[in-house]
Amino acid sequence: MTIIKKPDWYISENEVTDEALFNKRRNFLKLGAAALVSSSVIAEKLAAVENVKRESLKFQKTTFGKGLELNSYDQASTYNNFYEFSTSKSDPAKMAHTLKPNPWDVEILGEVENPMVISLEDIYNSYPLEERIYRFRCVEGWSMVVPWIGVTLSHILQKAKPTSKAKYVKFTTLVDPKQFPDQKAGKLFPNIPYPYVEGLRMDEAMNELTFMSVGMYGKMLPNQNGAPIRLVVPWKYGFKSIKSIVSIELVEEEPLNTWKMINDLEYGFYANVNPNVDHPRWSQAKERKLGSFFKTETLMFNGYEKEVGHMYKDMDLRRYI
Amino acid sequence: MKRSLLFFVLLLPLLYLLISVQSANDPIKYIFTCTGISSLIILILSLSLTPLKKIINLIKYRRMMGLFSFFYALLHFLNFYILDAQFDVTFVLKETLDKPFIYLGMIAFSILLFMAITSTRKLFAKFNKWHKLVYIVLILVVIHEAMAQKVLGNLEFMFIFMTIVLLGYRAFLFRVKWLKKKK
Ligand code: HEM
Repeated sequence: MTIIKKPDWYISENEVTDEALFNKRRNFLKLGAAALVSSSVIAEKLAAVENVKRESLKFQKTTFGKGLELNSYDQASTYNNFYEFSTSKSDPAKMAHTLKPNPWDVEILGEVENPMVISLEDIYNSYPLEERIYRFRCVEGWSMVVPWIGVTLSHILQKAKPTSKAKYVKFTTLVDPKQFPDQKAGKLFPNIPYPYVEGLRMDEAMNELTFMSVGMYGKMLPNQNGAPIRLVVPWKYGFKSIKSIVSIELVEEEPLNTWKMINDLEYGFYANVNPNVDHPRWSQAKERKLGSFFKTETLMFNGYEKEVGHMYKDMDLRRYI
Repeated sequence: MKRSLLFFVLLLPLLYLLISVQSANDPIKYIFTCTGISSLIILILSLSLTPLKKIINLIKYRRMMGLFSFFYALLHFLNFYILDAQFDVTFVLKETLDKPFIYLGMIAFSILLFMAITSTRKLFAKFNKWHKLVYIVLILVVIHEAMAQKVLGNLEFMFIFMTIVLLGYRAFLFRVKWLKKKK
Protein backbone atom coordinates (compact mmCIF):
# COMPACT_ATOMS: atom_id res chain seq x y z
CA MET A 1 0.00 0.00 0.00
CA THR A 2 1.53 3.30 -1.00
CA ILE A 3 0.58 6.77 -0.01
CA ILE A 4 1.33 9.21 -2.77
CA LYS A 5 2.83 12.41 -1.43
CA LYS A 6 1.84 15.38 -3.44
CA PRO A 7 4.73 17.51 -4.79
CA ASP A 8 4.79 21.23 -4.00
CA TRP A 9 3.87 22.24 -7.50
CA TYR A 10 0.81 20.09 -7.39
CA ILE A 11 -2.38 22.05 -7.90
CA SER A 12 -5.40 20.24 -6.67
CA GLU A 13 -8.00 19.64 -9.30
CA ASN A 14 -10.55 21.95 -7.83
CA GLU A 15 -8.18 24.93 -8.06
CA VAL A 16 -7.95 24.65 -11.81
CA THR A 17 -10.78 26.04 -13.82
CA ASP A 18 -11.49 23.07 -15.94
CA GLU A 19 -13.72 22.93 -18.91
CA ALA A 20 -16.63 21.51 -17.01
CA LEU A 21 -16.55 24.34 -14.52
CA PHE A 22 -16.21 26.90 -17.30
CA ASN A 23 -19.26 25.46 -18.95
CA LYS A 24 -21.03 25.39 -15.67
CA ARG A 25 -20.50 29.12 -15.25
CA ARG A 26 -21.71 29.75 -18.76
CA ASN A 27 -24.74 27.66 -18.08
CA PHE A 28 -25.29 29.55 -14.88
CA LEU A 29 -25.32 32.82 -16.79
CA LYS A 30 -27.72 31.40 -19.30
CA LEU A 31 -29.88 30.27 -16.45
CA GLY A 32 -29.95 33.84 -15.20
CA ALA A 33 -32.49 34.51 -17.89
CA ALA A 34 -34.53 31.61 -16.63
CA ALA A 35 -34.69 33.29 -13.24
CA LEU A 36 -37.57 35.22 -14.64
CA VAL A 37 -39.32 31.93 -15.06
CA SER A 38 -38.88 30.01 -11.84
CA SER A 39 -36.26 29.56 -9.16
CA SER A 40 -37.03 25.90 -8.62
CA VAL A 41 -36.32 25.22 -12.26
CA ILE A 42 -32.90 26.76 -11.75
CA ALA A 43 -32.13 24.67 -8.72
CA GLU A 44 -32.97 21.57 -10.69
CA LYS A 45 -31.02 22.63 -13.78
CA LEU A 46 -28.01 23.49 -11.66
CA ALA A 47 -28.17 20.15 -9.90
CA ALA A 48 -28.24 18.53 -13.32
CA VAL A 49 -25.24 20.58 -14.47
CA GLU A 50 -23.33 19.49 -11.38
CA ASN A 51 -23.89 15.90 -12.32
CA VAL A 52 -22.26 16.28 -15.72
CA LYS A 53 -18.87 15.84 -14.09
CA ARG A 54 -19.46 12.29 -12.91
CA GLU A 55 -17.23 10.05 -14.89
CA SER A 56 -17.86 6.58 -16.21
CA LEU A 57 -16.12 3.73 -14.42
CA LYS A 58 -14.52 0.57 -15.76
CA PHE A 59 -16.02 -2.47 -14.12
CA GLN A 60 -16.81 -6.13 -14.47
CA LYS A 61 -20.44 -7.23 -14.65
CA THR A 62 -21.49 -9.99 -12.24
CA THR A 63 -24.51 -12.23 -11.82
CA PHE A 64 -25.56 -10.67 -8.52
CA GLY A 65 -29.19 -9.67 -8.76
CA LYS A 66 -29.78 -11.17 -12.16
CA GLY A 67 -33.47 -10.98 -12.98
CA LEU A 68 -34.28 -8.15 -10.59
CA GLU A 69 -36.04 -5.19 -12.14
CA LEU A 70 -33.88 -2.07 -11.76
CA ASN A 71 -35.15 1.24 -10.52
CA SER A 72 -34.25 4.18 -12.71
CA TYR A 73 -31.18 6.31 -12.05
CA ASP A 74 -33.55 9.21 -11.56
CA GLN A 75 -35.44 7.47 -8.80
CA ALA A 76 -32.31 6.31 -6.99
CA SER A 77 -30.71 9.76 -7.16
CA THR A 78 -33.67 11.96 -6.20
CA TYR A 79 -34.99 10.05 -3.18
CA ASN A 80 -32.25 10.12 -0.59
CA ASN A 81 -31.92 10.12 3.17
CA PHE A 82 -28.85 12.25 3.77
CA TYR A 83 -29.42 14.22 6.97
CA GLU A 84 -26.10 16.06 6.65
CA PHE A 85 -27.97 18.03 3.98
CA SER A 86 -31.63 17.83 4.93
CA THR A 87 -34.32 15.56 6.34
CA SER A 88 -36.29 15.96 3.13
CA LYS A 89 -35.70 13.20 0.62
CA SER A 90 -35.74 15.42 -2.45
CA ASP A 91 -33.42 18.14 -1.05
CA PRO A 92 -30.10 16.24 -1.07
CA ALA A 93 -30.15 16.02 -4.89
CA LYS A 94 -30.43 19.82 -5.03
CA MET A 95 -28.01 20.61 -2.22
CA ALA A 96 -25.26 18.03 -2.54
CA HIS A 97 -23.08 20.06 -4.90
CA THR A 98 -21.33 21.43 -1.78
CA LEU A 99 -19.78 18.02 -1.19
CA LYS A 100 -16.35 17.69 -2.81
CA PRO A 101 -15.71 14.00 -3.39
CA ASN A 102 -12.34 14.43 -5.05
CA PRO A 103 -9.65 14.22 -3.75
CA TRP A 104 -10.71 11.91 -0.92
CA ASP A 105 -8.91 9.61 1.48
CA VAL A 106 -10.22 6.79 3.62
CA GLU A 107 -8.27 5.89 6.70
CA ILE A 108 -8.12 2.29 7.89
CA LEU A 109 -6.99 2.04 11.47
CA GLY A 110 -7.46 0.41 14.85
CA GLU A 111 -6.86 -3.28 15.38
CA VAL A 112 -4.92 -3.87 12.16
CA GLU A 113 -1.32 -4.81 11.46
CA ASN A 114 -1.26 -2.55 8.44
CA PRO A 115 -2.91 0.80 9.11
CA MET A 116 -3.33 2.59 5.82
CA VAL A 117 -4.81 5.52 3.99
CA ILE A 118 -6.39 4.71 0.67
CA SER A 119 -7.24 7.35 -1.84
CA LEU A 120 -10.03 7.15 -4.33
CA GLU A 121 -7.48 6.67 -7.08
CA ASP A 122 -6.17 3.60 -5.25
CA ILE A 123 -9.62 2.13 -5.22
CA TYR A 124 -10.25 2.87 -8.88
CA ASN A 125 -6.86 1.52 -9.91
CA SER A 126 -5.74 -1.22 -7.58
CA TYR A 127 -8.96 -3.10 -6.97
CA PRO A 128 -11.04 -4.76 -9.65
CA LEU A 129 -14.35 -2.90 -9.69
CA GLU A 130 -17.47 -4.95 -10.19
CA GLU A 131 -21.15 -4.24 -10.64
CA ARG A 132 -23.70 -5.83 -8.35
CA ILE A 133 -27.43 -5.44 -8.51
CA TYR A 134 -28.85 -5.40 -4.99
CA ARG A 135 -32.19 -4.80 -3.36
CA PHE A 136 -32.10 -1.82 -1.04
CA ARG A 137 -34.72 -1.66 1.74
CA CYS A 138 -35.18 1.44 3.91
CA VAL A 139 -36.41 1.08 7.50
CA GLU A 140 -39.14 3.59 6.54
CA GLY A 141 -40.78 1.00 4.29
CA TRP A 142 -39.65 1.94 0.79
CA SER A 143 -37.23 0.01 -1.38
CA MET A 144 -35.37 0.07 -4.66
CA VAL A 145 -33.10 -2.07 -6.83
CA VAL A 146 -29.76 -0.46 -7.69
CA PRO A 147 -26.77 -1.52 -9.80
CA TRP A 148 -23.86 -0.57 -7.52
CA ILE A 149 -20.23 -0.50 -8.61
CA GLY A 150 -17.49 -1.15 -6.11
CA VAL A 151 -15.35 -3.69 -4.31
CA THR A 152 -16.02 -6.34 -1.70
CA LEU A 153 -15.21 -4.85 1.69
CA SER A 154 -13.27 -7.96 2.71
CA HIS A 155 -10.73 -7.34 -0.09
CA ILE A 156 -9.90 -3.99 1.43
CA LEU A 157 -9.88 -5.24 5.04
CA GLN A 158 -7.61 -8.16 4.17
CA LYS A 159 -4.95 -5.76 2.94
CA ALA A 160 -5.03 -4.02 6.31
CA LYS A 161 -4.71 -7.38 8.12
CA PRO A 162 -7.09 -7.23 11.07
CA THR A 163 -5.58 -8.53 14.33
CA SER A 164 -7.23 -11.17 16.49
CA LYS A 165 -8.64 -8.41 18.66
CA ALA A 166 -10.68 -6.99 15.78
CA LYS A 167 -14.27 -8.00 16.55
CA TYR A 168 -16.20 -5.16 14.94
CA VAL A 169 -15.76 -2.58 12.21
CA LYS A 170 -16.71 1.02 12.85
CA PHE A 171 -17.36 3.34 9.90
CA THR A 172 -17.47 7.13 10.11
CA THR A 173 -18.83 9.76 7.71
CA LEU A 174 -17.00 12.98 6.94
CA VAL A 175 -17.50 15.96 9.25
CA ASP A 176 -17.05 19.22 7.42
CA PRO A 177 -19.46 22.12 7.93
CA LYS A 178 -18.33 23.63 4.63
CA GLN A 179 -19.50 20.59 2.74
CA PHE A 180 -22.43 19.51 4.90
CA PRO A 181 -24.75 22.44 5.69
CA ASP A 182 -26.45 20.71 8.62
CA GLN A 183 -23.10 20.47 10.41
CA LYS A 184 -22.67 24.24 10.58
CA ALA A 185 -21.34 25.33 13.94
CA GLY A 186 -23.96 27.16 15.91
CA LYS A 187 -26.84 25.33 14.33
CA LEU A 188 -29.20 25.10 17.28
CA PHE A 189 -30.86 21.81 16.40
CA PRO A 190 -28.85 19.72 13.96
CA ASN A 191 -30.97 16.94 12.42
CA ILE A 192 -28.82 14.25 14.05
CA PRO A 193 -25.59 14.16 16.11
CA TYR A 194 -22.39 14.11 14.03
CA PRO A 195 -20.34 12.36 12.88
CA TYR A 196 -22.62 9.66 11.49
CA VAL A 197 -21.32 6.32 12.69
CA GLU A 198 -22.19 2.78 11.65
CA GLY A 199 -20.81 -0.63 12.50
CA LEU A 200 -20.72 -4.27 11.52
CA ARG A 201 -19.68 -7.42 13.32
CA MET A 202 -16.48 -8.88 11.88
CA ASP A 203 -18.21 -11.82 10.18
CA GLU A 204 -20.75 -9.46 8.65
CA ALA A 205 -18.00 -7.19 7.39
CA MET A 206 -16.17 -10.13 5.83
CA ASN A 207 -19.31 -11.52 4.19
CA GLU A 208 -19.12 -11.78 0.44
CA LEU A 209 -22.17 -9.52 -0.01
CA THR A 210 -20.76 -6.59 1.99
CA PHE A 211 -19.77 -4.05 -0.58
CA MET A 212 -17.92 -0.73 -0.70
CA SER A 213 -19.55 1.20 -3.49
CA VAL A 214 -17.94 3.99 -5.49
CA GLY A 215 -20.46 4.13 -8.28
CA MET A 216 -23.87 3.27 -9.60
CA TYR A 217 -25.52 2.98 -13.01
CA GLY A 218 -22.12 2.79 -14.69
CA LYS A 219 -20.72 6.00 -13.25
CA MET A 220 -19.25 7.45 -10.07
CA LEU A 221 -21.70 7.90 -7.22
CA PRO A 222 -23.66 11.14 -7.34
CA ASN A 223 -22.98 13.16 -4.20
CA GLN A 224 -26.44 12.66 -2.75
CA ASN A 225 -25.95 8.90 -2.84
CA GLY A 226 -22.87 9.08 -0.64
CA ALA A 227 -20.00 10.00 -2.94
CA PRO A 228 -17.28 9.15 -3.28
CA ILE A 229 -17.42 5.93 -1.27
CA ARG A 230 -20.12 4.28 0.78
CA LEU A 231 -21.02 0.99 2.34
CA VAL A 232 -23.77 -1.23 0.90
CA VAL A 233 -25.08 -4.01 3.15
CA PRO A 234 -28.06 -5.33 1.21
CA TRP A 235 -29.62 -7.54 3.90
CA LYS A 236 -29.82 -4.68 6.42
CA TYR A 237 -31.99 -1.58 6.54
CA GLY A 238 -30.58 1.29 4.52
CA PHE A 239 -29.30 3.33 7.45
CA LYS A 240 -26.54 0.73 7.95
CA SER A 241 -25.20 1.57 4.47
CA ILE A 242 -23.25 4.61 5.64
CA LYS A 243 -22.30 7.29 3.11
CA SER A 244 -19.24 9.42 2.31
CA ILE A 245 -16.92 7.37 4.53
CA VAL A 246 -13.64 8.83 5.80
CA SER A 247 -12.61 6.19 8.29
CA ILE A 248 -12.87 2.45 8.84
CA GLU A 249 -11.74 1.43 12.28
CA LEU A 250 -11.38 -2.13 13.53
CA VAL A 251 -12.41 -2.34 17.15
CA GLU A 252 -12.95 -4.79 20.01
CA GLU A 253 -16.31 -3.53 21.24
CA GLU A 254 -19.59 -3.11 19.42
CA PRO A 255 -19.60 0.49 18.15
CA LEU A 256 -22.62 2.65 18.98
CA ASN A 257 -24.26 3.43 15.64
CA THR A 258 -25.99 6.78 15.15
CA TRP A 259 -29.62 5.63 14.92
CA LYS A 260 -29.26 3.35 17.91
CA MET A 261 -27.80 6.28 19.82
CA ILE A 262 -30.74 8.50 18.83
CA ASN A 263 -33.43 5.96 19.73
CA ASP A 264 -32.43 2.51 20.88
CA LEU A 265 -36.01 1.33 21.38
CA GLU A 266 -36.63 1.62 17.66
CA TYR A 267 -33.23 1.09 16.01
CA GLY A 268 -30.65 -1.50 16.93
CA PHE A 269 -27.12 -2.42 15.96
CA TYR A 270 -28.10 -5.29 13.67
CA ALA A 271 -31.01 -3.76 11.72
CA ASN A 272 -31.47 -6.88 9.63
CA VAL A 273 -34.39 -6.61 7.23
CA ASN A 274 -37.08 -8.75 8.85
CA PRO A 275 -40.74 -8.80 7.78
CA ASN A 276 -41.72 -10.56 11.03
CA VAL A 277 -40.46 -7.87 13.40
CA ASP A 278 -42.27 -4.55 13.07
CA HIS A 279 -40.89 -1.15 13.75
CA PRO A 280 -42.84 0.12 16.79
CA ARG A 281 -44.59 2.70 14.62
CA TRP A 282 -45.13 0.84 11.37
CA SER A 283 -45.29 -2.63 9.89
CA GLN A 284 -42.26 -4.09 8.09
CA ALA A 285 -44.17 -6.95 6.44
CA LYS A 286 -44.38 -5.22 3.06
CA GLU A 287 -42.51 -2.54 1.18
CA ARG A 288 -43.17 0.20 -1.35
CA LYS A 289 -40.79 -0.19 -4.27
CA LEU A 290 -40.05 3.28 -5.64
CA GLY A 291 -42.32 4.22 -8.51
CA SER A 292 -45.04 1.74 -7.58
CA PHE A 293 -48.55 2.32 -6.27
CA PHE A 294 -48.62 -1.21 -4.90
CA LYS A 295 -46.80 -2.82 -2.04
CA THR A 296 -44.83 -6.06 -2.27
CA GLU A 297 -43.86 -8.60 0.37
CA THR A 298 -40.63 -7.91 2.19
CA LEU A 299 -38.31 -10.93 2.20
CA MET A 300 -36.40 -12.26 5.21
CA PHE A 301 -32.94 -10.66 5.21
CA ASN A 302 -34.19 -8.75 2.18
CA GLY A 303 -33.95 -11.93 0.10
CA TYR A 304 -30.37 -12.78 1.10
CA GLU A 305 -31.18 -15.42 3.72
CA LYS A 306 -29.15 -18.09 1.93
CA GLU A 307 -26.02 -15.97 2.03
CA VAL A 308 -26.33 -14.45 5.51
CA GLY A 309 -28.88 -16.43 7.55
CA HIS A 310 -26.22 -18.65 9.14
CA MET A 311 -24.64 -15.69 10.94
CA TYR A 312 -27.76 -15.19 13.06
CA LYS A 313 -28.79 -18.80 13.66
CA ASP A 314 -28.62 -18.64 17.44
CA MET A 315 -29.82 -15.09 17.88
CA ASP A 316 -33.23 -13.91 19.02
CA LEU A 317 -34.03 -11.53 16.19
CA ARG A 318 -36.81 -9.86 18.18
CA ARG A 319 -34.31 -8.82 20.77
CA TYR A 320 -31.41 -7.96 18.50
CA ILE A 321 -33.22 -5.56 16.23
CA MET B 1 -68.95 34.45 -4.53
CA LYS B 2 -66.43 34.56 -1.67
CA ARG B 3 -67.70 31.17 -0.62
CA SER B 4 -67.01 29.57 -3.97
CA LEU B 5 -63.57 31.17 -4.08
CA LEU B 6 -62.75 29.61 -0.71
CA PHE B 7 -64.15 26.30 -1.92
CA PHE B 8 -61.83 26.44 -4.91
CA VAL B 9 -58.80 27.38 -2.80
CA LEU B 10 -59.46 24.49 -0.44
CA LEU B 11 -59.54 22.15 -3.44
CA LEU B 12 -56.10 23.27 -4.64
CA PRO B 13 -54.16 20.76 -2.49
CA LEU B 14 -56.16 17.98 -4.13
CA LEU B 15 -55.48 19.30 -7.64
CA TYR B 16 -51.82 19.63 -6.80
CA LEU B 17 -51.76 16.09 -5.43
CA LEU B 18 -53.45 14.65 -8.52
CA ILE B 19 -50.93 16.27 -10.84
CA SER B 20 -47.76 15.67 -8.85
CA VAL B 21 -48.42 12.16 -7.58
CA GLN B 22 -47.74 10.75 -11.03
CA SER B 23 -44.09 11.63 -10.77
CA ALA B 24 -43.70 10.85 -7.07
CA ASN B 25 -40.97 8.37 -6.19
CA ASP B 26 -42.93 6.89 -3.31
CA PRO B 27 -46.59 7.51 -4.22
CA ILE B 28 -48.25 5.95 -1.18
CA LYS B 29 -46.07 7.90 1.23
CA TYR B 30 -46.56 11.01 -0.89
CA ILE B 31 -50.35 10.73 -0.66
CA PHE B 32 -50.10 10.29 3.13
CA THR B 33 -48.02 13.43 3.35
CA CYS B 34 -50.16 15.63 1.07
CA THR B 35 -53.52 14.60 2.48
CA GLY B 36 -52.33 14.51 6.11
CA ILE B 37 -50.61 17.89 6.04
CA SER B 38 -53.52 19.50 4.12
CA SER B 39 -56.01 18.16 6.65
CA LEU B 40 -53.97 19.36 9.62
CA ILE B 41 -53.27 22.83 8.21
CA ILE B 42 -56.91 23.40 7.26
CA LEU B 43 -57.91 22.20 10.73
CA ILE B 44 -55.56 24.70 12.36
CA LEU B 45 -56.79 27.51 10.10
CA SER B 46 -60.41 26.71 10.88
CA LEU B 47 -59.67 26.79 14.60
CA SER B 48 -57.86 30.11 14.22
CA LEU B 49 -61.09 31.75 13.09
CA THR B 50 -62.32 31.87 16.69
CA PRO B 51 -59.47 33.99 18.13
CA LEU B 52 -59.42 36.04 14.90
CA LYS B 53 -63.12 36.90 15.34
CA LYS B 54 -62.28 40.11 17.21
CA ILE B 55 -60.26 41.38 14.26
CA ILE B 56 -62.18 39.94 11.35
CA ASN B 57 -65.25 37.77 11.64
CA LEU B 58 -65.02 34.80 9.30
CA ILE B 59 -66.89 32.36 11.49
CA LYS B 60 -69.37 31.64 8.72
CA TYR B 61 -66.60 29.84 6.82
CA ARG B 62 -65.66 27.62 9.73
CA ARG B 63 -68.00 24.80 8.81
CA MET B 64 -66.72 24.57 5.23
CA MET B 65 -63.13 24.51 6.42
CA GLY B 66 -63.88 21.86 9.00
CA LEU B 67 -65.53 19.72 6.36
CA PHE B 68 -62.55 20.12 4.04
CA SER B 69 -60.23 19.09 6.85
CA PHE B 70 -62.38 15.99 7.23
CA PHE B 71 -62.37 15.45 3.46
CA TYR B 72 -58.54 15.32 3.35
CA ALA B 73 -58.48 13.08 6.43
CA LEU B 74 -60.91 10.78 4.60
CA LEU B 75 -58.59 10.62 1.57
CA HIS B 76 -55.74 9.94 4.01
CA PHE B 77 -57.69 7.08 5.58
CA LEU B 78 -58.65 5.69 2.16
CA ASN B 79 -54.98 5.77 1.16
CA PHE B 80 -54.29 3.67 4.24
CA TYR B 81 -57.15 1.25 3.61
CA ILE B 82 -56.88 0.90 -0.18
CA LEU B 83 -53.23 1.38 -1.18
CA ASP B 84 -51.33 0.73 2.05
CA ALA B 85 -53.43 -2.10 3.51
CA GLN B 86 -54.78 -3.29 0.14
CA PHE B 87 -58.27 -3.83 1.66
CA ASP B 88 -56.83 -6.22 4.24
CA VAL B 89 -59.21 -5.64 7.17
CA THR B 90 -57.22 -7.91 9.50
CA PHE B 91 -54.12 -5.85 8.83
CA VAL B 92 -56.00 -2.60 9.50
CA LEU B 93 -57.35 -3.94 12.81
CA LYS B 94 -54.01 -5.36 13.87
CA GLU B 95 -52.18 -2.13 13.12
CA THR B 96 -54.87 -0.09 14.88
CA LEU B 97 -54.74 -2.15 18.06
CA ASP B 98 -50.95 -2.56 17.98
CA LYS B 99 -49.47 0.78 17.12
CA PRO B 100 -50.06 4.02 19.03
CA PHE B 101 -49.15 5.91 15.87
CA ILE B 102 -52.11 4.37 14.05
CA TYR B 103 -54.68 4.37 16.87
CA LEU B 104 -54.09 8.04 17.62
CA GLY B 105 -54.85 8.71 13.95
CA MET B 106 -57.92 6.45 14.06
CA ILE B 107 -59.34 8.13 17.16
CA ALA B 108 -58.78 11.55 15.59
CA PHE B 109 -60.40 10.41 12.36
CA SER B 110 -63.41 8.94 14.20
CA ILE B 111 -64.03 12.25 15.96
CA LEU B 112 -63.74 14.15 12.68
CA LEU B 113 -66.19 11.71 11.10
CA PHE B 114 -68.64 12.24 13.97
CA MET B 115 -68.30 16.02 13.60
CA ALA B 116 -68.81 15.85 9.84
CA ILE B 117 -72.00 13.83 10.28
CA THR B 118 -73.37 16.16 12.96
CA SER B 119 -72.50 19.31 11.06
CA THR B 120 -75.93 19.76 9.48
CA ARG B 121 -77.97 22.63 10.86
CA LYS B 122 -80.36 20.32 12.66
CA LEU B 123 -77.85 17.96 14.20
CA PHE B 124 -75.42 20.72 15.02
CA ALA B 125 -78.03 22.39 17.20
CA LYS B 126 -78.15 19.22 19.22
CA PHE B 127 -74.47 18.25 19.19
CA ASN B 128 -72.63 21.56 19.09
CA LYS B 129 -71.26 21.09 22.62
CA TRP B 130 -69.57 17.91 21.44
CA HIS B 131 -67.75 19.81 18.70
CA LYS B 132 -65.30 21.05 21.35
CA LEU B 133 -63.77 17.59 20.85
CA VAL B 134 -62.02 19.10 17.87
CA TYR B 135 -59.30 20.27 20.26
CA ILE B 136 -58.64 16.64 21.15
CA VAL B 137 -58.35 15.95 17.41
CA LEU B 138 -55.80 18.75 17.12
CA ILE B 139 -53.67 17.34 19.94
CA LEU B 140 -53.87 13.77 18.62
CA VAL B 141 -53.02 14.73 15.06
CA VAL B 142 -50.07 16.90 16.08
CA ILE B 143 -48.69 13.93 18.01
CA HIS B 144 -49.52 11.62 15.08
CA GLU B 145 -47.74 13.90 12.61
CA ALA B 146 -44.67 14.11 14.85
CA MET B 147 -44.66 10.30 15.15
CA ALA B 148 -44.57 9.97 11.37
CA GLN B 149 -41.11 11.59 11.40
CA LYS B 150 -37.78 9.99 12.24
CA VAL B 151 -36.54 13.21 13.81
CA LEU B 152 -38.50 16.36 14.71
CA GLY B 153 -38.01 19.41 12.50
CA ASN B 154 -39.28 22.96 12.08
CA LEU B 155 -42.69 21.88 10.82
CA GLU B 156 -43.33 19.82 13.94
CA PHE B 157 -42.29 22.67 16.23
CA MET B 158 -44.58 25.01 14.31
CA PHE B 159 -47.56 22.66 14.71
CA ILE B 160 -46.84 22.27 18.43
CA PHE B 161 -46.58 26.05 18.79
CA MET B 162 -49.91 26.62 17.00
CA THR B 163 -51.56 24.00 19.19
CA ILE B 164 -50.33 25.69 22.36
CA VAL B 165 -51.56 29.08 21.12
CA LEU B 166 -55.02 27.77 20.19
CA LEU B 167 -55.44 25.78 23.41
CA GLY B 168 -54.04 28.68 25.41
CA TYR B 169 -56.65 31.00 23.94
CA ARG B 170 -59.40 28.51 24.84
CA ALA B 171 -58.09 28.20 28.39
CA PHE B 172 -58.03 31.98 28.66
CA LEU B 173 -61.69 32.25 27.52
CA PHE B 174 -62.65 29.54 29.95
CA ARG B 175 -61.01 31.36 32.85
CA VAL B 176 -62.65 34.67 31.99
CA LYS B 177 -66.05 32.97 31.94
CA TRP B 178 -65.35 31.23 35.20
CA LEU B 179 -64.29 34.46 36.92
CA LYS B 180 -67.47 36.19 35.73
CA LYS B 181 -69.57 33.37 37.12
CA LYS B 182 -67.84 33.60 40.49
CA LYS B 183 -68.73 37.26 40.75
C1 HEM C 1 -57.67 7.24 9.96
C2 HEM C 1 -56.67 7.01 10.72
C3 HEM C 1 -55.27 7.35 10.28
C4 HEM C 1 -54.36 6.49 9.81
C5 HEM C 1 -54.48 4.99 9.65
C6 HEM C 1 -53.18 7.26 9.49
C7 HEM C 1 -52.02 6.70 9.00
C8 HEM C 1 -50.90 7.43 8.66
C9 HEM C 1 -49.73 6.89 8.07
C10 HEM C 1 -49.50 5.42 7.74
C11 HEM C 1 -48.86 7.91 7.86
C12 HEM C 1 -47.51 7.87 7.14
C13 HEM C 1 -46.43 7.27 7.90
C14 HEM C 1 -45.19 7.23 7.07
O1 HEM C 1 -44.45 8.20 7.05
O2 HEM C 1 -44.95 6.21 6.41
C15 HEM C 1 -49.49 9.09 8.37
C16 HEM C 1 -48.90 10.33 8.38
C17 HEM C 1 -49.57 11.49 8.68
N1 HEM C 1 -50.89 11.59 9.06
FE1 HEM C 1 -52.16 10.08 9.39
N2 HEM C 1 -53.42 8.57 9.74
C18 HEM C 1 -54.71 8.67 10.23
C19 HEM C 1 -55.37 9.82 10.59
C20 HEM C 1 -54.88 11.09 10.37
C21 HEM C 1 -55.63 12.30 10.54
C22 HEM C 1 -57.08 12.39 11.00
C23 HEM C 1 -54.79 13.32 10.21
C24 HEM C 1 -55.02 14.81 10.14
C25 HEM C 1 -56.11 15.43 10.47
C26 HEM C 1 -53.52 12.76 9.87
C27 HEM C 1 -52.41 13.48 9.52
C28 HEM C 1 -51.19 12.95 9.19
C29 HEM C 1 -50.02 13.71 8.93
C30 HEM C 1 -49.92 15.24 8.96
C31 HEM C 1 -48.99 12.81 8.63
C32 HEM C 1 -47.54 13.14 8.34
C33 HEM C 1 -47.28 13.05 6.89
C34 HEM C 1 -45.80 13.01 6.59
O3 HEM C 1 -45.04 13.75 7.18
O4 HEM C 1 -45.44 12.23 5.72
N3 HEM C 1 -53.61 11.39 9.97
N4 HEM C 1 -50.74 8.79 8.83
